Amino acid sequence: MSAVITVVKKNGGFQNANMVLNKSIQGFVSSDEDEDNILDNDIDISSSESDSENGTSKDRLSFQIVTPGELITEDPIWMRGHGTYFLNEMTYSSVAGVVSRVNRLLSVIPLRGRYSPETGDHVIGRIVEVGNKRWKVDIGAKQYAVLMLGSVNLPGGILRRKSESDELQMRTFLKEGDLLNAEVQSLFQDGSASLHTRSLKYGKLRNGLFIQVPSSLIVRAKNHTHNLPGNITVVLGVNGYIWLRKTSQMDIAKDLPPGGSTGAGSTIKSNIGNQNGGLSANSTNVSITRLEEESSWQIYSDENDPDLSNSIRITITRYANVIKALAYCEIGITQERIVSAYEASMAYPNIGSLIEREVMESLGADVINGEKMRGNAV
Amino acid sequence: MSRLEIYSPEGLRLDGRRWNELRRFESSINTHPHASDGSSYLEQGNNKIITLVKGPKEPNTRSQLDPNKATLRVTTNITQFSKFERSKSSHKNERRVLEIQTSLVRTFEKAIMLHIYPRTMIDIEVHVLQQDGGIMGSLINGITLALVDAGIAMWEYISGVTVGLYDTTPLLDVNSLEENAMSSVTLGVVGKSEKLSLLLVEDKIPLDRLESVLAIGIAGAHRIRDLMDQELRKHAKKRVKHASSN
Repeated sequence: MSAVITVVKKNGGFQNANMVLNKSIQGFVSSDEDEDNILDNDIDISSSESDSENGTSKDRLSFQIVTPGELITEDPIWMRGHGTYFLNEMTYSSVAGVVSRVNRLLSVIPLRGRYSPETGDHVIGRIVEVGNKRWKVDIGAKQYAVLMLGSVNLPGGILRRKSESDELQMRTFLKEGDLLNAEVQSLFQDGSASLHTRSLKYGKLRNGLFIQVPSSLIVRAKNHTHNLPGNITVVLGVNGYIWLRKTSQMDIAKDLPPGGSTGAGSTIKSNIGNQNGGLSANSTNVSITRLEEESSWQIYSDENDPDLSNSIRITITRYANVIKALAYCEIGITQERIVSAYEASMAYPNIGSLIEREVMESLGADVINGEKMRGNAV
Repeated sequence: MSRLEIYSPEGLRLDGRRWNELRRFESSINTHPHASDGSSYLEQGNNKIITLVKGPKEPNTRSQLDPNKATLRVTTNITQFSKFERSKSSHKNERRVLEIQTSLVRTFEKAIMLHIYPRTMIDIEVHVLQQDGGIMGSLINGITLALVDAGIAMWEYISGVTVGLYDTTPLLDVNSLEENAMSSVTLGVVGKSEKLSLLLVEDKIPLDRLESVLAIGIAGAHRIRDLMDQELRKHAKKRVKHASSN
């Protein structure tokens, strides 16, 4: 076809401006430029390109927003990463997001999207299927993750051989609907994850409450388990799944200095009474025998502790609502922010009121302001 | 229909538009963040549509699993109260609705980069709350917005619009009165190009008029693309501002 009518917005209505006869592509481009003038003041392509030629003017480029089909660069020197595609030597965006340039790698980070697992991520998941020597786990990714029978600690210790009877009684360890925390062991070709729970900090979750936030709000860190004031422990899964629970003795042990953070919970367990003395000597030797002792049937128990008091439950719900408020304000969730928002939330005696829109906004503002005051805002 | 003047000699249509004018186009995205991965609410004239995109996710059944690419599914729920008169049947499994679903799947199969999501399913759910002609085009626009919101990789925007032909005059973005009175064509246009991913012709159209109909349709679809782009950018700016203030 040859005739294109450009619809131009004028005085709030649409009017026919000009009828361009396009015999060539050149003519089509010219009508394109007309449209550009109508569009709002985005960073236009030409200016961003001149920047890229100059090299690293990151401050401006880091916030270049692109939408699907938008030309990012005509420079073939860039390697194309996720969220981009390549057509006739030109790189286009395939998602709506922010352009990221790392060395020569050009990618677009989408504004939203599902969690994509990476090796070593600490995640929380829910068992959805018990299969042949494996469990399928929903970790909020594009596909279910697998947890092999061989990648869990079974009762009786780490050195125990997996027998056929273990295969038959897989449901007694983990059944559909159970929540667990685990680590991403490896990734398959198609991007789905294989998990393992071969550490005492992983395994079935009890004594607590599950919340889900967007995975983008949780930043990968060395440690994802934090003890909070009020005898509560939070596990911040990288996939945006969060578990709030009563602090267990293992959690207390974890908080102690060197050696305590790598599944050595059992060694320190005996030290809890006298935390001041003889700690460093004991906590460094993590032995397999200790692990064996800990890996009893108890780790797969479905029962909550009998002494889960009402006040603990109330504190957990307060934390849960505080986290929901942070997520509502799209504030990245860290231990410090949870604590500071929790302290700010004390002004509201009614926990239910914490998830009212105004309250959530004021809590978010409190946290951000608090950080600015202390001068550690990013 | 004869008493209604579809297109007056002064060049005005029933709702006061000129031949080349679109209806009011308002949209918002991320309207249902808890129920879906991407969502949009679209008002195009009196068409009101909620779109939810779920996925890429694990397929529900084995048959939906494709080892090479994602499976796309579109479910359309045309509510009983969507028209002027309440319809007796729920439109589920109606031939017309099934046809709409198939053509939407065909349209978006080509627009989404399905090959980068192997062994998954993308589930698109559309709820038509109110309809006033040119519903197919509005469905396409709503789905495009929701897909972008879900962060699903696409080659380009797809924008849809319905163009009618009244005698010799093409009428852009017809409403239901016009749609019933004349033959019309629905276009799905790829981005700012002149490529069509959908061309739906259900009525007779004189061949020598088709070109002018397509021309105004493509121009209108480009305008719709820009409107959707504006909305998405507005949203994106807000998100980026939030993120940088953290």
